[in-house]
Amino acid sequence: MTREEKLQLLSELCLEFGPTGSERYVAKVIKEKLGDIEYTVDRLGNIIVHIPGEGAPKLMVSAHMDEVGFIINEITDDGYLKFDTLGGIDPRVMCGKYVTVEGKEGFIPGVIAAKAIHHQNADERKKVTPHKSMYIDIGATSREEAESLTEPGNSATFDSEFVIFGEDGAFIKSKAIDDRIGCAVLLDLLGRLPKNCPFDLYFCFTVREEIGLSGARTVAHAIDPDFCIVLESTAVADLPDVPESRRVAKLGDGCAISLRDNATIYDRDFVNFALEAAKKKGVAAQIKKYVSGGNDAGSIHRSVDGVRALAISVPSRYIHSPANVISTADYLSMSELVLAIIENGKEL
Amino acid sequence: MLDIFKKISAAHGVSGAESDTAGVIAELMTEYTDDIRIDNLGNLIACRHGVGENRKKIMLCAHMDEIGFMATFIEKNGFIRIAPIGGINYTAVALTRVRSERGVRGIIAPEAKTKPADFRAENFLIDIGAKDEKEASRRVKIGDCFRFDNDQIKLLGSRVCGHPADDRIGCAVLVDIARQLHGEDIKDDVYFVFSVQEEVGCRGSKTAAFAVEPDISLAFDVTATGDTPSATPMACELGRGAAIKIKDSSVICDPTLVDELIEVAKDKKIKYQLEVLLYGGTDTSSMQMTGAGSRAGALSIPTRYIHSANEMIDMADAQACADLAAEYIRRGE
Repeated sequence: MTREEKLQLLSELCLEFGPTGSERYVAKVIKEKLGDIEYTVDRLGNIIVHIPGEGAPKLMVSAHMDEVGFIINEITDDGYLKFDTLGGIDPRVMCGKYVTVEGKEGFIPGVIAAKAIHHQNADERKKVTPHKSMYIDIGATSREEAESLTEPGNSATFDSEFVIFGEDGAFIKSKAIDDRIGCAVLLDLLGRLPKNCPFDLYFCFTVREEIGLSGARTVAHAIDPDFCIVLESTAVADLPDVPESRRVAKLGDGCAISLRDNATIYDRDFVNFALEAAKKKGVAAQIKKYVSGGNDAGSIHRSVDGVRALAISVPSRYIHSPANVISTADYLSMSELVLAIIENGKEL
Repeated sequence: MLDIFKKISAAHGVSGAESDTAGVIAELMTEYTDDIRIDNLGNLIACRHGVGENRKKIMLCAHMDEIGFMATFIEKNGFIRIAPIGGINYTAVALTRVRSERGVRGIIAPEAKTKPADFRAENFLIDIGAKDEKEASRRVKIGDCFRFDNDQIKLLGSRVCGHPADDRIGCAVLVDIARQLHGEDIKDDVYFVFSVQEEVGCRGSKTAAFAVEPDISLAFDVTATGDTPSATPMACELGRGAAIKIKDSSVICDPTLVDELIEVAKDKKIKYQLEVLLYGGTDTSSMQMTGAGSRAGALSIPTRYIHSANEMIDMADAQACADLAAEYIRRGE
């Protein structure tokens, strides 16, 4: 794939609809992209592509299809939609944002609203409005009208453009980069695997990471891999008011390899091997310094009789918001880093 | 057992970096077991085959890992920022000596003027005596783990203190059980599992139990006591014998197994006490619930000042745990 094609692929995947539990829309697009490549789908909806390598150790490479979003739990008499969150979203990034709501026939546009600043008392202005006091306005004027368009249990996600900006297109802004970027890299890698691959490979597009790391759990149990690589995005905290020691990683310095997060202590030999492989191939990579977050590795490494785990994350600003910001170079380097690891796999 | 405990306790083994400890234990266990292996996560699994018909699988488990700190960042002035590994009581560890897996020594200190009530990982630093960042980064790499640098010392009677008792004393008990059973025919298959990553959520014992599929499982770990001034009331004391666990916050032990252990202790006149731990979990729960489940229990070693650099135990209690378990295994079912 050319740079343009890679950006086009990422854009297409990011703009697809797929909050946790409602991954079927983005899953459909991924299946189309797989074309002639054989795949299986398990009971939870995880998509698994097996690239056999006889007698070789099993390597599972995974990315999750779901994104953070909202689930409608009530329709008011006035035709507003009350909602709950799917995954961790800061209520401060919700208010005033456009959303796409799963309707009875196709998607419908909406906006997240709350009491305007004019109507808030002094106390309310000092506090963060909780999401329970917000609602989605879909332009319906009555309960009946809203009920004819959508229903409780349907989900919603941010409606936000995919934008390339900065000098020579150095940065990308979009919703759902977490973790469509991993999905895009898996699709890119499928056409580029070395002939004598030293692994029995399983590429997995998982569901329900944002709530409970559930999809990866059942896939890992079914595959029983020796190794796993989780492709992800990680928060970076490279903001002016964060001291150097609390910053997780740096945009543009390559993908971040985790030593430890809140769900996993990564296999040290695997981490060192990955850093060495990156160096050998001249691919940028950095260590994720500050301990934060968690990902599918948390459930995979504890599966069956244990899996040696690695996580590779593209550093992402403003994660879990309508505007994740990443470095284009970091995105493009992710496939190369995974390839470097696979190519040197015999030494692992 | 004291010598073995000291030897195991001296090895580095912060959660996720237990290989030094595994090496020391593997050397001790090779003589006493039929096969020995290390799994994907780093658990050390040694097996003694039984000779009985319809033999069962008994899994004995003690964790090799200890709490500690991971270096996350080196400041310009050479101080090292840390992330905690396991449950840290910052008041208890302030200004304690630490040592890295590469052997670099230092102390862990709060930032000046931090009130004890505000102690958190974010305001603690490790000082290795470096002049600046350049000197520090030659000796410490991001990701290096530090452990408490406190050798075991003998106090009055059979009491010992240092770091870590949690859970190298359990590991020493397992080695002693294997030693006691060496050369004897035993009825059941016994798996001696030295697990990893207990302090961060009982992760290792889960995958080890999946592989072993035990019928009966026993954890060996430390437990709190109620025998210090103003302690939270708890019927568990140093020197009163092996503590047969009835429950902690992660598990309710198999009541039949508890009764069987009490019976063996009474028969053999081994000192025991009963343990109900109000907080804290152990590998017992992951062995109980992995796969199709097992009949699970635990023998605990009463320990004062848990998760400090000076955990205090009575070696007689540890010996009682080993004697009780060895006798239980001899009897078969």
